[in-house]
Amino acid sequence: MRKEDLVALRDVSFTLDKGERLGIVGESGAGKSVAAFSILNLISKPGYISGGEIRFDGKDLTRLSLQEMSEIRGNRISMIFQDPMMTLNPVLTIGTQMTEALHAHQQISKEEARQRAIDSLAEVHIPSAATRIDQYPHELSGGMRQRVVIAIALITKPPLIIADEPTTALDVTIQAEIMDLLMELCNSSGVGLILITHDLGVISQMTERAIVMYAGRIVEEGDTKDIINNARHPYTHGLMGALPQKTTPGQRLNQIKGGMPPLNEIPKGCAFNPRCPLVDDICRTTRPDYTTMGSTRVACHKALSEES
Amino acid sequence: MFAFFVRRLAQAALVMFVISVIAFSIQDNLGDPLREMVGQSVSEEERQALRDKMGLNDPFFVQYWRFLKNALQGDLGTSYFFKRPAVDVILDKLPATLELVFGASLIIIVFSVPIGVFAAINPRHWFSKFAMAVSTVGISIPVFLTAIMSIYIFSVELGWLPSFGRGETVEIFGGWTTGFLTWDGLVHLILPCIALSSIMLPLFIRLIRAEMLEVLESEYVKFAWAKGLSPKRVWFVHALKNTLLPVITVGGVQIGTLIAFTILTETVFQWPGMGFLFLEAVNRVDTPLIIAYLIVVGLIFVVTNTIVDLVYGLVNPTVKLARPHGGDG
Amino acid sequence: MVAVKWQQFMESAFYHDFRRDKIAITSFVIMCIYVVACYAAPLIAPYNPYDPTIIDIMDSEIPPMWLDGGNSRFLLGTDAQGRDLFSTILYGTRISLTIGICAVLLQGVLGISLGLISGYFGGRVDSFLMRLADIQLSFSTLMVAIIFLAVFQALFGTELYERLAILMLILVIGIAEWPQYARTVRASVLAEKKKEYVDAVRVVGLRPVRIMFRHILPNTLSPILVISTVQVANAIVSEAALSFLGLGMPVSKPSLGSLINSGFEFIFSGSWWITIIPGIVLIVLVLVMNLLGDFLRDVLNPKLYKN
Repeated sequence: MRKEDLVALRDVSFTLDKGERLGIVGESGAGKSVAAFSILNLISKPGYISGGEIRFDGKDLTRLSLQEMSEIRGNRISMIFQDPMMTLNPVLTIGTQMTEALHAHQQISKEEARQRAIDSLAEVHIPSAATRIDQYPHELSGGMRQRVVIAIALITKPPLIIADEPTTALDVTIQAEIMDLLMELCNSSGVGLILITHDLGVISQMTERAIVMYAGRIVEEGDTKDIINNARHPYTHGLMGALPQKTTPGQRLNQIKGGMPPLNEIPKGCAFNPRCPLVDDICRTTRPDYTTMGSTRVACHKALSEES
Repeated sequence: MFAFFVRRLAQAALVMFVISVIAFSIQDNLGDPLREMVGQSVSEEERQALRDKMGLNDPFFVQYWRFLKNALQGDLGTSYFFKRPAVDVILDKLPATLELVFGASLIIIVFSVPIGVFAAINPRHWFSKFAMAVSTVGISIPVFLTAIMSIYIFSVELGWLPSFGRGETVEIFGGWTTGFLTWDGLVHLILPCIALSSIMLPLFIRLIRAEMLEVLESEYVKFAWAKGLSPKRVWFVHALKNTLLPVITVGGVQIGTLIAFTILTETVFQWPGMGFLFLEAVNRVDTPLIIAYLIVVGLIFVVTNTIVDLVYGLVNPTVKLARPHGGDG
Repeated sequence: MVAVKWQQFMESAFYHDFRRDKIAITSFVIMCIYVVACYAAPLIAPYNPYDPTIIDIMDSEIPPMWLDGGNSRFLLGTDAQGRDLFSTILYGTRISLTIGICAVLLQGVLGISLGLISGYFGGRVDSFLMRLADIQLSFSTLMVAIIFLAVFQALFGTELYERLAILMLILVIGIAEWPQYARTVRASVLAEKKKEYVDAVRVVGLRPVRIMFRHILPNTLSPILVISTVQVANAIVSEAALSFLGLGMPVSKPSLGSLINSGFEFIFSGSWWITIIPGIVLIVLVLVMNLLGDFLRDVLNPKLYKN
């Protein structure tokens, strides 16, 4: 590491089986997106990966050349970005932006690529795909654009997709549609999914396993149902309390007090200690190690047992 | 497309109208055709009679209408000095100026795009730093000083290149003379074209680099990387086109400045173009020629700006040509 | 009071950045030397170039001191009329700088007022003013200035023109460049208008003029500061170009541009210094101002108007 660097991620390690769906949850600034973008080495400058390894299909992705990485990107691992209004290039047609992904990874004729693109658009339920393909992004609504982005991600039939908050920029009514579509496509083609979100509700519907992140660290990891039903970490508890459906109507949402610390002000000991309702002396001095409790792994001195 | 064209045309007509009013006011105040036609010996009564006959005592609007009608027929009066129709005199000099502008534009385009793009892609490369440093110095040297210094170095001291005139030209069609087809003509073009481009080139290098840097940070470029595209495709298909869109707009605005700079360049190199002619006309108070220059230059501005707008509309899919200037969306 | 402000300034991030930037410091020092030297010209200059009685035509075209034929009486040599080049340059720089600064003040007053009006009232006023700005910009300042001055000169004759030259140059450059300020200020006003405090003071019942000058204007200061530096440089270049064309300062009271013009024909006979030395003085002046402008832009990082 270089001098004056700020650490965005520390000790983040997780595994994902073929076709598995994993959720990464946390507030903004927790490092979810950085973790996701690190996988394909797409972190914005001046950020960089200072150490660790990311293994995929037996290869360490952090050691690949740009050339080798390009063969993984969009081909073996695809990404879906947050804001579909910004993700598509305004001056290229939908068709160009779809077929170029195919041409980059496969020997395929122009006609065939175009047909694949049309099929792909139909798969994400875009009506009259054959005419849409020649349009420009600005002619499509936000929801439609995100469908196009999903179609691009799936067009090469990758085994894994990373979706970075794919619905936060969309209207509430469209959010559910997009999530359903993503779920449907993952199920039908057996694609693995890493879903990044700040919404535990989405995680519980979409994923089999979940990771809760706080201030660049994993604080809790395990089967989604265990995390939802039996959260061990006070932070996860806090996130659950902030869900609208967990609150009696008319009451205020149970927000966790305070906010995520900036990278240069992460507190000593457990990073969550200033906001934690269960904080103790040890939390202020010693960073907690991971303990395994049932299916979950949790980093907390005061990890809640099942009864609490 | 049609609606866009009509609107653009209307705007162009409005600008030309304003120019014509200015031109006419100049003529009204500056030119005394009588002084040119008759000597001092003519009596005041005779003068008045002549004025009436020529319509010089008509109301402003009537006179302007007459001026406009003549102007539309290409008649802007007769140059006092050359004793020829002013429009003809100007048009004779047009090829020289346009070739100068063409040569300079060529230099600007050929160098600014690759250098600007390279500097954005490799910001830490020594060449990028060098190019940016040279550009900063470059935009600080006024055009006429570049011209003078290049004459001093390459003509006076080294004696490599000629310092004035167009050299040998050939006529290609309809009275258009070109210096591009003879060796002598080309050699004469080198210094003036470099001088004329000397301030715009660094300006565009800086502009293209800045725009490209911004585009490279955009989400859609990041998404293009995430698709596993080759760097060439990301840079030259995804980023470059978005970079050049604002550059086209600035280019349109800078055409006016470029033509103003031709006056400076032509003065230093005694280049027989419109700008040089214009300054001579000013010194001789040759009103019809001043007016003809105004109108011809105005036309060039309006036409090139319209073309630039059209090109921008064609290149940028988010501009619906039916709805010009429809905001930033 | 002043001491407190000074203390605040010394501790500010701005000053911290400035101290770390060698180019900015160098530019600032050179800039200061220019200002002091040219405004103290009557004290520093060995000769008064405006005094025809001390000019001897026999002294013409003497090269700078360090060259063959140089004369220790004339540090940088003499021009074609026998004036001491060093003194003439000092006085000429003073004229160039004065015109540049005054023209930019005029631009600022015009542009800031029109920009505030345009941004604050919006609607038709706004679209009219901005369209006007577009058209004027597309015609280029220099073109407008050249035509205006050319016509003026033809209209009133060279003699009257020479007497009014400084005023005319300030007016023409000042008026022709207002759109730069207007657009920048308008953009800032639009951004500021959205903020709550403007609504708050409006609710309190302050008049628009008061809101604009007391509350919005202070928040547009950093973009104004950034463009002002570059605008002074541009104004100096415009003045030099106009004077070079013979449409600016007369040779009897030369600015840097007219000095360059007067020496131009002599480079062919070898007397390069009459043109090249004032040329270098002009380039360095413009360069340091552009560098300071770059520094200010990078540090203050305002949202400048973009085309």
